[in-house]
Amino acid sequence: MLSFPETKPLAAPIGLPRLRWPFSIGETIAVTSLALVVILSIVGPLLSPYSPIIPSGDQFLPPGSRGHLLGTDNLGMDIATRLMVGARTSLFAAVVTTACTATLGLIVGTIAGFVGGWLDTILMRITDIFLAFPGPIVAMAISAALGASLSSSIVGIAIVWWPLYARIARGEVRRTATSMHVEAARMSGSRGIPLVLRHILPATLPTVAITASLDIGGVIAVLSALSFIGLGTPAPAPELGLMASTGMQYLLSSWWIPVLPGLCVGVLALLCNYTGDGLRGALRSRGV
Amino acid sequence: MVRFIIRRLVSLVVVLFSLSVLVFVLQRVGNADPVRAYLGPNASQAAIAATRIKFGLDKPLIVQYFDYLGGLFHGDLGMSYSTRRPVAVELADKVPATLELAAWVLFFAIILAVILAGIYTLKGPVSGVIRFVFFSFASAPSFLLATLMLLLFFKQLHWFPAVGRITDTSGGGPTGFYVLDGLLTGNLAYSLDAIQHLVLPALAASLGIGVALARVLADGLSSGMASNYARTARSLAETERSILFRHSLRNASSPALSMLGVLSGAMLSSLVVVEQIFSWNGLGQYLSTAIASADFPAVAGVSLVLGAVYVILTAIVDVVLALVDPRVKLT
Repeated sequence: MLSFPETKPLAAPIGLPRLRWPFSIGETIAVTSLALVVILSIVGPLLSPYSPIIPSGDQFLPPGSRGHLLGTDNLGMDIATRLMVGARTSLFAAVVTTACTATLGLIVGTIAGFVGGWLDTILMRITDIFLAFPGPIVAMAISAALGASLSSSIVGIAIVWWPLYARIARGEVRRTATSMHVEAARMSGSRGIPLVLRHILPATLPTVAITASLDIGGVIAVLSALSFIGLGTPAPAPELGLMASTGMQYLLSSWWIPVLPGLCVGVLALLCNYTGDGLRGALRSRGV
Repeated sequence: MVRFIIRRLVSLVVVLFSLSVLVFVLQRVGNADPVRAYLGPNASQAAIAATRIKFGLDKPLIVQYFDYLGGLFHGDLGMSYSTRRPVAVELADKVPATLELAAWVLFFAIILAVILAGIYTLKGPVSGVIRFVFFSFASAPSFLLATLMLLLFFKQLHWFPAVGRITDTSGGGPTGFYVLDGLLTGNLAYSLDAIQHLVLPALAASLGIGVALARVLADGLSSGMASNYARTARSLAETERSILFRHSLRNASSPALSMLGVLSGAMLSSLVVVEQIFSWNGLGQYLSTAIASADFPAVAGVSLVLGAVYVILTAIVDVVLALVDPRVKLT
């Protein structure tokens, strides 16, 4: 007769996995601040009594002035309002850029990884060549050729940045394609595009999403650099890079005009980087 | 080894060709009609037609590309719209300025990375704070770092000059690298002055890549110190310091070196920004002016030169890596 060894009751009853807050203290601060900044940048401009592009007070008012919390610039425009609108533009543009880039890379990488053969070779050679280019410089050239504007900066960055995602996606697709569940799906008759969409893509998406979340901070910095050298929307648009670059000539007399937009970019990028790190950790701890 | 170098050279040439194709295509898809941009808005139809033929724009695109490529081999980067001088002539004296700055940026970044990597391997609250501060620096855009440095070291402390490459512009030497020129002509004061002008822009551009480099180096060092060869060395009574410098650093330096190659792309773009801020008369400042005046041949010329610098730099890094690290596969 078969006898089973006595089993001890588990310390905790088995049930739903306990939902644990996945972020460390530092990451929690970063995530919360980022959420606040996002809310502020959306709601703030609506509540502000000033326009971001119309002078609304005396020129060169320092931060802490009455009615102008962060002062005014050389034209008398309210800096706080301009920063909030600029932050909104930056965040939105960075998310759009990263989404476009990741999608483009995902499509190329998935095709290369799934189809294989000569198509894979050709696509990966093209990817290699793009990876060998100095990304930011080529992005500058592309957006200059398309004419200075925010959208051409986005196109420029997307064109140089997708190969990284194509690499990652291809690797993931090839890894997933040999796994048990895909094998099983193949045997039950799934093939071609439905197989990719239903069984392979869901397994590759998390890795691409993590990479994208880690990239947003960097994209914010690159976009602001492009705007700084004059490749964004022309003045008086409230873009952070442009504000810093036009304010540069007042650095020694009114430091806040160029420094505050720069600080704003730095804080946004830092918060995004920390949040991206946190997301990566959180997803990893769930076994993704 | 020879095969590796040959293969790397072939891929270098392929990438350079592709870069020239890309820049050529960009020149043609650009919004502005090059002839109109060159002649201005009031040009007559006849003048436009004549210039079109003069620039070879009436030929098929593929012929135009090969004309362009042939021009590149002769050092012809096209004509600037705004100054109407050959772009190559305009760039000639700006290349040394940018290369000199770039060399100092790399130098500062490596020193910073080694110091930071040392701090990272230490434990404790001080290390945590330093880590946070430098992580913040690495996230900050280079124009913010440049402005803060100007405020602190120029406005408050008066330690370093704020603009230009040199105080006395009448001097000079054969190479266009001012520090080197000073040494070659025996004019030490000239070199020192050039170094003083270099410090702030080089620091501003090097902080970001220095921190990124430090993270790679620190990762390598800490895994090296925990490795089997370190344990063997300890059992042979080698000191920690000797393990760190003789074994761990050597192993950690090759991923750091290849990271440095990749980071030099980011460095070039922050050089563009930093040069504009410090009125550094190099490729970056020229690029910003060219963008402002929608002078695309000039933009294309700078992109091509900076692109080539980057591509050649990464090739050199790869070859050096293969030479110093036997683990690099000779494929």
